[in-house]
Amino acid sequence: MAPNKKMLLRGDVNRIYDEDYRRRQKAKKEKLFVRPTRQRKLKNAKWFSIGMGIDLPFCLIIFILLTVGTIMMFSASYAFAYYTVGDSYFYLKRQLIFIGLGVAAMIVMSFLNYNKLHKVAPFVLGFAYFCLLLVLILPSGEGGVKRWIPLGMFNVQPSEIAKFAIILFFSHWASKYYNKMHLAKYSVLPGVIVFGSVAGLLILEPHYSGIVIIGVLTVIMLYIGGMKTRYLAIGAIALFGVILLLAITGGLSYAMSRMDGWGQALTASRDSELWDSTWQTRNSLYAIGSGGLWGLGLGQSRQKFLYLPEPQNDFIFAIVVEEMGLIGAAIILLIFALLVWRGITLSLRAKDKFGKLLGIGLTSQIGVQVVLNILVITDWLPNTGISLPFFSYGGSSLIMLLAQMGIVLSVSRTANIEKQ
Amino acid sequence: MEEKKTPLKKPLPKSKKHAQKGPNQRMRQRSAILIILILVVGFGAALLRLALLTLVQGSQLQERAVDQQLADVTLTAKRGTIYDSNGTVLAESASVWQVVMAPVNFKNDEQREAAARGLSEILQLDYNNVLEKTKSKSFYSVVKRKIEVEQRDAVLELINKLSDEYKCDGVITLLDDYKRYYPHNELASCVIGFAGADEQGLEGVEFQYDKYLAGTPGRIVTAQNARGTDMPFSYEQNIASKDGNNIYLTIDENIQSICEKYMAQGVVDNNVLNKGVCIAMDVKTGAVKAMVVSPGYDLNDPYTLSAEEQQRIAALPENQQEKEQGLALSAMWRNKAVADTYMPGSVFKMCTASMALEEGKVNDNSTFVCGGVMVVNDRPLHCHALGGHGNQTFVQAICNSCNPAFIQIGQLVGMQKFRDYYKGFGFADKSGIDLPGESDDMFWSEGEMTDVDLAVASFGQNFGITPIQMITACAAVANGGYVLQPYVVSKVTDSKGNVVKSVERKVKRQVISNATSNKMNEILGYNTETAGATAGYVAGYKVAGKTGTSEKIGVTEKQSVFEEDYIASFCGYAPADDPQIAMLVFFDTPSGGAYYGSQVSSPVFINIMTEVLPYLQIKTNYSEDDLKYLDTSAGDYTGLSVADATAKAEQDGFTCTVKGEGEKVVMQLPAVSSKVSAGGNIVLFTDDASKAETVTVPDFTGYTALEANNVAGQYELNVSFKGAISAGGTCVEQSVKEGEKVAPGTVITLTYSAASGSGFND
Repeated sequence: MAPNKKMLLRGDVNRIYDEDYRRRQKAKKEKLFVRPTRQRKLKNAKWFSIGMGIDLPFCLIIFILLTVGTIMMFSASYAFAYYTVGDSYFYLKRQLIFIGLGVAAMIVMSFLNYNKLHKVAPFVLGFAYFCLLLVLILPSGEGGVKRWIPLGMFNVQPSEIAKFAIILFFSHWASKYYNKMHLAKYSVLPGVIVFGSVAGLLILEPHYSGIVIIGVLTVIMLYIGGMKTRYLAIGAIALFGVILLLAITGGLSYAMSRMDGWGQALTASRDSELWDSTWQTRNSLYAIGSGGLWGLGLGQSRQKFLYLPEPQNDFIFAIVVEEMGLIGAAIILLIFALLVWRGITLSLRAKDKFGKLLGIGLTSQIGVQVVLNILVITDWLPNTGISLPFFSYGGSSLIMLLAQMGIVLSVSRTANIEKQ
Repeated sequence: MEEKKTPLKKPLPKSKKHAQKGPNQRMRQRSAILIILILVVGFGAALLRLALLTLVQGSQLQERAVDQQLADVTLTAKRGTIYDSNGTVLAESASVWQVVMAPVNFKNDEQREAAARGLSEILQLDYNNVLEKTKSKSFYSVVKRKIEVEQRDAVLELINKLSDEYKCDGVITLLDDYKRYYPHNELASCVIGFAGADEQGLEGVEFQYDKYLAGTPGRIVTAQNARGTDMPFSYEQNIASKDGNNIYLTIDENIQSICEKYMAQGVVDNNVLNKGVCIAMDVKTGAVKAMVVSPGYDLNDPYTLSAEEQQRIAALPENQQEKEQGLALSAMWRNKAVADTYMPGSVFKMCTASMALEEGKVNDNSTFVCGGVMVVNDRPLHCHALGGHGNQTFVQAICNSCNPAFIQIGQLVGMQKFRDYYKGFGFADKSGIDLPGESDDMFWSEGEMTDVDLAVASFGQNFGITPIQMITACAAVANGGYVLQPYVVSKVTDSKGNVVKSVERKVKRQVISNATSNKMNEILGYNTETAGATAGYVAGYKVAGKTGTSEKIGVTEKQSVFEEDYIASFCGYAPADDPQIAMLVFFDTPSGGAYYGSQVSSPVFINIMTEVLPYLQIKTNYSEDDLKYLDTSAGDYTGLSVADATAKAEQDGFTCTVKGEGEKVVMQLPAVSSKVSAGGNIVLFTDDASKAETVTVPDFTGYTALEANNVAGQYELNVSFKGAISAGGTCVEQSVKEGEKVAPGTVITLTYSAASGSGFND
């Protein structure tokens, strides 16, 4: 601790080493190095500020997306809700409750010192395993799949927990063994073990889209964490081999059956099996095509009238394009892009590697899901069930998502980034 | 923010060693790659894909989307009615229903089974087939079309039952549909034609006037959700269906049925192998009053062949059956009156004679010699009278139907003129009648016609024309030389009765002068009068006509029992002094007892005309002989003294028989005003005892009118004649059966029919 030169020049030497002074200096320092847990107690804790508060642009983008997403979710869902539940506001009401809970969770998380998560990371992973196992012993849901743990008002998807757990765990792992990450033993091995076991459990549910996202996230975390690019290439080849093997053994039965009509939505003939299996994708394409450049106008979608099944879920963006057109879709994509950009750049300014990795991982999860979702609804990827963040209806996933954004905001508090 | 990206802090030395703290170069680099991957590659691909779908494929996708969103219900238009010239319905559409299912709305198998069971029972369908239909995901599946009222009521009940017991709604619906009915079955089948399952006209007027009859189907376009119920925002557009127009034929149902009756009889009597054709035409307008192809077919069941045809096809090898079935059906539907050509034979002589008269090549004083055979260019051409007709006048030549005479007449006319008149009479072009499938004539082309051809053409051989062309030419001969446009539809009205289209008499050209026409009427009338039954004599009317027997030249396979196949025809018109109606009767390939036109077709012509001419209220012009058989009304002689009554009856032209001892007439038979043939016997009863007297009715069948009159006189009975009593006609039916006991004086109605005549005159 360097002596205060100004004081020295004044000759006030005693004050420099004064106990009080030292305490003040220490407090100042602590304040600068920001310990959110403690800061919470501080009266002058700032919501938004340079150095101290959360990142305003990032926070703003989240709320813009949340607002637009909720409006679109309502627009997309009211007809479906009207015909299936009898209440047009059914999904809106519930979604607003989830948003309330989620925003609360986000605020709480933003004040949490993310460094505390270091210690809980292995336990969160353990909890994710527990949930993944629990869901398997619970009675199966519709269509024989076991994807949800019912919790009264809403259902929890263990795969959502697993996504977060994987990001958290590898942030923890890569920051802990940062200088060893170039070794396969510290990067590839844990990656294969953790992802392999989670994927194995997800296959039993089965939930293939979850596997895809978790796989991509694992790779991103390890890559950012410092894994050698060479291993990535080897991994890609291995992945290809595994897919080939599964294809030969027929282990992809469910996914394959869902992939049946992949790319054939528009060519399927009526009265064929394909016509039914590509129904959702075809009507999604109809909706997107109907939108054109400018869209039919907010609330004017025709396809949401039971043609597109469950328009409030994975296929909500098709309705968005139908109503808002390509222009609207592009604007929404731009907002998502800003979110990803801001999230990653602010994370890079974080004080420590754990924060960086955590922020990058959680932000890229959103980017990856957006891209996969749009490619699914436009039939460039098989229909596997990937929700659109901030837009798709869903209790647990929305609350999880907002809580994760809270963590990114928490990271942003330490980030040395100019905050407007 | 942009600037922030570039590392401001000094980079670490270039060593491969990883920095201990702070965001190092590698992590920044990798994050940059990650951002590029997600934002540029990922988002770029997503945006590109969206742009492709919205901008490039947009309109096509939107079209398909709109297609499924707009429920388009077709409202069937009622097909127009076809009437005859008197307004009698010949074809009409009646309301029926079709059962349509929306299987996508079934919620469980229980509902499916219940619906399938109900429908299969009501509609007599296979249960498994219906069940299969209920399992599809479609919104529109036709279960059965054209169900009648009883079935509809049962289906409605089923719908209620499904709703009440199974909570299954919106699955079965009934849509309006129409079915075509032909109240007279076979009547005028060749003219009316029939409509198919979708009410599309397939034959005859139904086909020719389809665009008038069909109407315009309406549409209801509604925006619908995937369940088929209407969307909350309303988009509905109704385009009402427009009912088809009604068509009035020139065909008169009464004349048509008279013609059909006798044609059918003629076909049976003469064992005609290739159908008979009869066309009756209004001479003054060209309107077709009746057109018969006999045997016809049942318009309500047009896909069923006759029993013999079915047997014949069933006997064929299986692989040929379907083809043969199709051929047989189209043969059955074929309108021989317009679609086939035939050789007119001697009937054509009326045209040859007309042209010779018109050209002034012949007159009453022209004479022609017939030696039984005439050689043209070394080809001997025979007359039907082997011994020849000797020396004959022009009129005699026609009456004798002498071929050598007509060869000479043809030669007088000359090849070029003959061809011009052939064209002038309308044989070279289609008649243009408003019926489908009209055939072209078959005649020698310019320059190919030889003298022999001219010679045979003069008596109607070796070229083919359609029956409709022949009757049109005949009408021209009769009506003063005007070649008319034949037609079967007189007017088209819309559903409210406004006339949409009306057909007027249309003269194509005048081919011969009025004078020539009058002369021909005179000659042909004379022909009929002198030749009697063999030339179509109808009692009470002046009829003009010409018989014809043509050899079917070029027939590959002989069908009849005769040496050659023949077409027996008769073409005539009445009355000869003011022609009103022309009629062509011909039988293709008779294979019974006779094949001459005078024997086969002439009696049919007489029978038809005997009924048709009174129906047309054409003034009678009885000869002395005929008057004997004409009915008169009996006067009232009761209450008078016997002497007064007898005097009065005799004054009225009756003979009297007095029964009983009384002084006054208490009863008379026939009763007052009843029809008795002129010169009948009035029985006057003078007391009650005499009333009990009876006589036994004899058998009148087989008697001519004169014989019957005599027999009736012997039995103290009266007869009233009906039908063709002209010379040669015999009684075929009597109103009171033989052997029954009736009071004397009772009137017995005798039906006469012109029998196949004894002599022939071709």
